[in-house]
Amino acid sequence: MNLAIDLMQAFLLIAVAPLVSGVVARCKARVQNRRGASLWRPYAELLKLFCKEDLVPDTASALFRFAPAILFAATVTAAAFIPVLHPAALFGVSGDIIFLVYLLAIGRFFLMLGAMDGGSSFGGMGASREALVSALAEAPLLLALISVAILTHTVSVSGIVTTTLQQNPFHLSAVYAFALGALVLVALAEAGRIPVDNPATHLELTMIHEAMVLEYSGPSLALIEWASAIKLTLIMALLIGLFAPWGMATNASITVLLFAPLLFFFKLVVLAATIAIIECSMAKLRMYLVPDFLGMASALAILAVSFTALMR
Amino acid sequence: MMQIVFNSFFSVLLMLPAVTLLCRRSQRMRSLPSMLLLVALLAGTLVAAVSFWQGNGLALDLSWAVPFPFVITVDRLSALFLLLICAVGAPVTLFSTSYIERHYSAAKADWLWRLLPLFLLSMALVVTASTAFAFLCGWELMTLFTAGLILIDGDSEGRRHNIFIYLLMMHAGAAAVIASFFLFLPHASALDYTSMRAAAAVMPAGLRTAIFLLSFVGFGTKAGVVPFHLWLPKAHPIAPSPVSALMSAVMLKTAIYGFVRFTFDFLGGGPAWWGYLVLLVGAATGLLGILYALTEHDMKRLLAYSSVENIGIIYLALGAALVFMANNAPAWAAAALVAALLHALNHALFKSLLFLGAGAISDVTHTIDIELMGGLLKRMRVTGTLFLIGCCAIIGLPLLNGFVSEWMIFRSFIAASELPGLSCAVILPLMAGVLALIGGIAVAVFAKLYGVAFLGRARSLQAEQATEVQKSMQAAMALLAAACLMIGILPGLVVTPMTVLASELLHSPALPEAALSVTRALPLIAACVAGLIVALASFRRIKRITATWACGLPALTSRMQYSSAAFSKPLRRVFARVYKAERTVDVQYTHQPYFAKSIVYRSVRTTSFEKSLYRPGVDAIVNMAQRLRKLQTGNMQVYLLYIFLALIALLIWMRFA
Amino acid sequence: MGLIELAAAKALASSAVFLFITLLMMAAAKRISTCIVLFSLQSAIMASEILSMAWVGKSAEAYAVAALVIVVKVVAIPCALFRIIKDLKASQDVASSTTGVQSVFIMAALILLSFFAVAPYAVTLRLDEDMLAAAVALLLAGAFLMVSRKKALMQVIGLLVLENGIFVAALTTTYGMPLVIEIGIFFDLLMGVFLMGLFVFRIRDTFEHLDVSKLRRLRG
Repeated sequence: MNLAIDLMQAFLLIAVAPLVSGVVARCKARVQNRRGASLWRPYAELLKLFCKEDLVPDTASALFRFAPAILFAATVTAAAFIPVLHPAALFGVSGDIIFLVYLLAIGRFFLMLGAMDGGSSFGGMGASREALVSALAEAPLLLALISVAILTHTVSVSGIVTTTLQQNPFHLSAVYAFALGALVLVALAEAGRIPVDNPATHLELTMIHEAMVLEYSGPSLALIEWASAIKLTLIMALLIGLFAPWGMATNASITVLLFAPLLFFFKLVVLAATIAIIECSMAKLRMYLVPDFLGMASALAILAVSFTALMR
Repeated sequence: MMQIVFNSFFSVLLMLPAVTLLCRRSQRMRSLPSMLLLVALLAGTLVAAVSFWQGNGLALDLSWAVPFPFVITVDRLSALFLLLICAVGAPVTLFSTSYIERHYSAAKADWLWRLLPLFLLSMALVVTASTAFAFLCGWELMTLFTAGLILIDGDSEGRRHNIFIYLLMMHAGAAAVIASFFLFLPHASALDYTSMRAAAAVMPAGLRTAIFLLSFVGFGTKAGVVPFHLWLPKAHPIAPSPVSALMSAVMLKTAIYGFVRFTFDFLGGGPAWWGYLVLLVGAATGLLGILYALTEHDMKRLLAYSSVENIGIIYLALGAALVFMANNAPAWAAAALVAALLHALNHALFKSLLFLGAGAISDVTHTIDIELMGGLLKRMRVTGTLFLIGCCAIIGLPLLNGFVSEWMIFRSFIAASELPGLSCAVILPLMAGVLALIGGIAVAVFAKLYGVAFLGRARSLQAEQATEVQKSMQAAMALLAAACLMIGILPGLVVTPMTVLASELLHSPALPEAALSVTRALPLIAACVAGLIVALASFRRIKRITATWACGLPALTSRMQYSSAAFSKPLRRVFARVYKAERTVDVQYTHQPYFAKSIVYRSVRTTSFEKSLYRPGVDAIVNMAQRLRKLQTGNMQVYLLYIFLALIALLIWMRFA
Repeated sequence: MGLIELAAAKALASSAVFLFITLLMMAAAKRISTCIVLFSLQSAIMASEILSMAWVGKSAEAYAVAALVIVVKVVAIPCALFRIIKDLKASQDVASSTTGVQSVFIMAALILLSFFAVAPYAVTLRLDEDMLAAAVALLLAGAFLMVSRKKALMQVIGLLVLENGIFVAALTTTYGMPLVIEIGIFFDLLMGVFLMGLFVFRIRDTFEHLDVSKLRRLRG
């Protein structure tokens, strides 16, 4: 029974991901006083891409064709670590935060290599900028997650969520505020949102992720877009699970099982609206100011870790 | 039975130079020495593996041959490092069988085959010695044989300067190691390991600290920690590729063995500040190593600096172990020690794979400058794939061995938060942040290396005409890559005996389950990920080959791609304070100042250590020597005066003593 | 306890952390008006702390102090400063001599230093370590703002943050000073801000800018 729920929640994360990016785009549009595209547009786009053919540059090697598959596989495996409906995930106790961060790194590494395989300046440019952002974002991400792990005395994501669920929300340590601040900043960097990267741009001066996937088309591009949507949803689900997990199904009764997904969607929509408002109220940072942005996240994360010991 | 194999392993290695001398003359027996070496190394692997897994000790007493006590024993720790040496040495030898034939004349090849087994023998001697004399013999011989191997490749002015720096620093380190051995003498009856262990238990704290500091400096010089890393990027790139692989992968680990033996076995840990010192040095080494690697486009220098980084990571884990021991948490100390030893083994495997790959590339393209390569993956499929596995392993991606050791090091740092002391509960988790930063930059460095060298368009004619290397070279690399994959997916195979080793060494109870949870999880996750990838990639997708998007230009050239310097520029700019680059721009104008004939931009990283640390020290020593020269007057009577003064001084001293 | 009481108790217990967050945001701020808003936020947090002490101790004096803090520090002084900015029509740029990241890291180091400094006192005097560390951190942060920001208005804000720190220290060690002393301090503060406001206009009119680094030209 548990296995069925765990599989279902992994599939839920994967299936709902394009809808989440649709919600974010719709919220952005509304904030900007536009009508915005339909919520289901990302699904239509994925379907269109899957039906097209793959265009492969002549300079590319086999790695170019494998990279989207590896990225998607790594992201889907990472999605199976995050509890959504129920405090345990598919890879349960073995899915810990270090594993999660490094699984996302697999996808990023192969995407960078695939970009350089195209043999054009765009790919190299995107890969080099992505290398900058990811090199500096890894430390605050891990430190913030470690501070939460230290507070809950467990390293696995399911363990953290379970422990947090059992606590009264008003008895949480104040260190969570620092960890939340650092994680929100890093989440914006990892998901490639303004102020770090503009996911809707096509100007080479402002591209990071888009520049890396410029050469991809057809099903490969569909896998990459889906994987980046899954990554955004995964990060949002992680934030919800670590900081506001109340409402998850702790027992297997039918009412709780129906209530949990609704509450989860509600939290996702709230987070999506927050991201949309942040994106509309800030300008994209100049690339050499992104290290400053990530530096502030690092300072918050360092304080979070220090306070776990100082405020015992 | 194992004893016989062990004895024969050593004797074969010792006799191989003679065999080479005899056999290389005749055509039929040309490859006999290399085959013998390979067989000997495989036998050594077998012996070491059995001894490591089962823990039965072996001993070989050679005191009858030399005037000092000379005993070789294999306990679990020695077995692990002997396994490392032989398991890496065997593929490297296989690689060298064709590499040396293709690259060197008969005379030079002869010398290489004479010195290579002696080099391996000296390393094996270092890790299996159980008397100080045997250890120091092996230690000094390692330096000498590597210098000889490097010299075989050529002795131009620059190379001789680098070899000189290498020998100088190695001897300075050896002096510190000898001093730390001799400091046991007041309390130890003889300089063999059992007596030293017993002596360390009764020594005063000041003497223990002196031994620790001296051995730290001595072994640190050999391992290449900052600020003693100067010789590494000078010596490793100029050696022949198989020798570079052995130096970087194996020789640095003998220094780790020495440090572990001294600090954990003899001294049995110490006050917490030892651990903090090691942590600080490890963090600095890791960061500086990978930051310097970011700027390199010479493949071997990049790999050499990356070795510095990994040594830094190993020292981080060792520092954590020391802090845990000082805080009465021996179980977690054992976990950190296992992480350090596992990282040493992993680094040996993937670094040798990468160096052999560099050797294969240089074999085919005759260059190690990645700015002249490109598109090699299409032309050298097997080498490219195996090099990719090596790159993924060194970054620490899951399903490969690098991830397991880095995971264990992270886990130990997180566990430090449970300790009661305030400083260790804050500092060690922050070191996890440093490790994460090092790992993040390593991803950038190896994405740059692989992307510029293997992907995209070829940047030179040699790269365009590259072909695959010979089967034996491919097989050697494949063996190492298979070992990386195996440890990555089934780490329990090596981790379980290591936990026994660490518990024995530190007299601790069994390791906490939390430290080993990664070993249970990996096979399941590996199966899922592999299944997913296979399912996705086997999608029958229609594909059409077109040209790369060229923004409307008729065609893209290879110069329009991102070069290595361009790729690393953003990160280099962020860390500009570390590099302190000196930039010069030379512009040559035609007869009019508006038209430039040529513009040359030169950006040189000034390594601050040479200027700020070494030059003042060297200058001070030279100044002191100049002043002492005045004693040498050349006047006979002044010399008689010296003897007279010494006599008077002795009489006065005897009166008051 | 009811939900509101629980939330109030939790908010008060973590007021130290909220103070640290305002300090970090002040270090990262690039506009003067952001700093003013953060200062009034800090004062509001302090006011809530005093209100909680008043509720627990049931003392009318504490209520008066809380009301004074709200009127003077949360409303009056920030409004005065906003008025000054509007009348000056000068640029809102903070003119810091350290980049944003460096300021944030220095602020984080100062926060850690303040914990380090109060650790023995908190144990021996049996005080709330977090609030004492927050007080020292506010002091150091105020001094840091005065040192690193070149605009005259930022010196004023730095002084105000410093005074906040002294106030919090008084709160923690003595559970509030007598009302008379509080009124005296507030009066001094108010006068100080208005005088500074006057002088700022005079400085601007004489030198045509408010950059204190240009004072170097007056050297002999």
